[in-house]
Amino acid sequence: MSERILHLLLLVAVAWGVTFTLRAIPFILFAGRDREIPKSVERFGAIVSPVIITCLIVYSYAGLEWRTAWPYLAGALTIGLQLWKGNPLASILAGTVLYMVLLGCCGCQTSTVAFKQDIAHPLIHVTRHGLAFVTPDEDGKFKSVPVTPEEAVERLEDLGVPKTATIYVQVDDPDASQRALWVFKNNYLSRAGYTKSAWVTPRRAESGTAERLNSNLQDRKIPFEGRTFTPGQSGRTYRGRGARDF
Amino acid sequence: MMGYVTMGIAAGVLLAAKGDVPCPPLWAALISATVVSGTLSFAIVPAFAASDSALAVALLTLGINFRYAFYGFSLLGRWRTVPLPLKLFLVNSLSDEIYALDVACRLKDPARYRYYCMWNHYLCWLYWLIGPVAGASAGVALPLPTNGIDFAMVALFLVILTDQIKGMVKKNV
Repeated sequence: MSERILHLLLLVAVAWGVTFTLRAIPFILFAGRDREIPKSVERFGAIVSPVIITCLIVYSYAGLEWRTAWPYLAGALTIGLQLWKGNPLASILAGTVLYMVLLGCCGCQTSTVAFKQDIAHPLIHVTRHGLAFVTPDEDGKFKSVPVTPEEAVERLEDLGVPKTATIYVQVDDPDASQRALWVFKNNYLSRAGYTKSAWVTPRRAESGTAERLNSNLQDRKIPFEGRTFTPGQSGRTYRGRGARDF
Repeated sequence: MMGYVTMGIAAGVLLAAKGDVPCPPLWAALISATVVSGTLSFAIVPAFAASDSALAVALLTLGINFRYAFYGFSLLGRWRTVPLPLKLFLVNSLSDEIYALDVACRLKDPARYRYYCMWNHYLCWLYWLIGPVAGASAGVALPLPTNGIDFAMVALFLVILTDQIKGMVKKNV
């Protein structure tokens, strides 16, 4: 954590240094001489500043919900109000409020799933001690947190995993009871709306074939050892090469 | 003054909402005390959240505050007699409205002008300190809706751009 604080302090120091240097440039350059700015420099300054701010605006728009119409509407309102009334505060406030209202009422296009969930990165593990959920630590590393089945489903919903996604459950314990897995799938996952789920063995998840399988999931059929698996149908299990029965 | 404080509050709320900083009011105070620049207070929040490199922030600051390089020219002559420590403070807090006030002041006596500039800069610096700290504290304490508050930054840039283009059009006419 302190490394990040040092980095933030560095950012502030850099911003301060650059700004102070910019402000002090005239005094440094022309110290002792009372000169007028040459006309070309003045014109340069008058042109460059709006250009830079335009670039900034375009760049910031990329960080908003630019696929929808909301930021452009709010931007138009801001500009219009500023031209009409000339009060910068009112314009900023009106534009921001309009944007927030539009976002809240009419929804965002980009769904924010905290981290991806697929066959190579299953979120739920079945261990010797029960269910575990993969969560990011404060440092950004991932660790498994033991959860009850209800908690696992809750966390899935909190993360915003869409109900149409296939939930991959990695079975780390080779002696896991088939019945317990069936209960988890039918009584917890399906009841919460996650009707598609699949079991994954650790070798399957960590092997390179998992990445290849991902690309084949598009057409919902995976050729494997002469047989085809269709993921998502309930009751199907994946078998890695040499995996034991579980 | 009120415009300054209210914009400062918006900057503070944005920092508390989007910037990933521990104890936002402290960081708001730090930023607004050293870098007395409204637009940069807004624009540095996404840089904080994403932990950008120092070079990226340097370029961002260079771009946003580039116009400050041109403010000093008009004040060169009038500030000639200012002693260096005070001059450093005046230079550091040279922001848009402060510059406008300094240039528009019609005091002839250099000592009185110095006094005026000093108080002008100090008060505006104080107002700019109060705004973001209050906003950051409010953002931390109250459950304000923060979905989409990034737009405040874009709106500020749009407003600045509109004013600049309006000024350019007027000068050409």
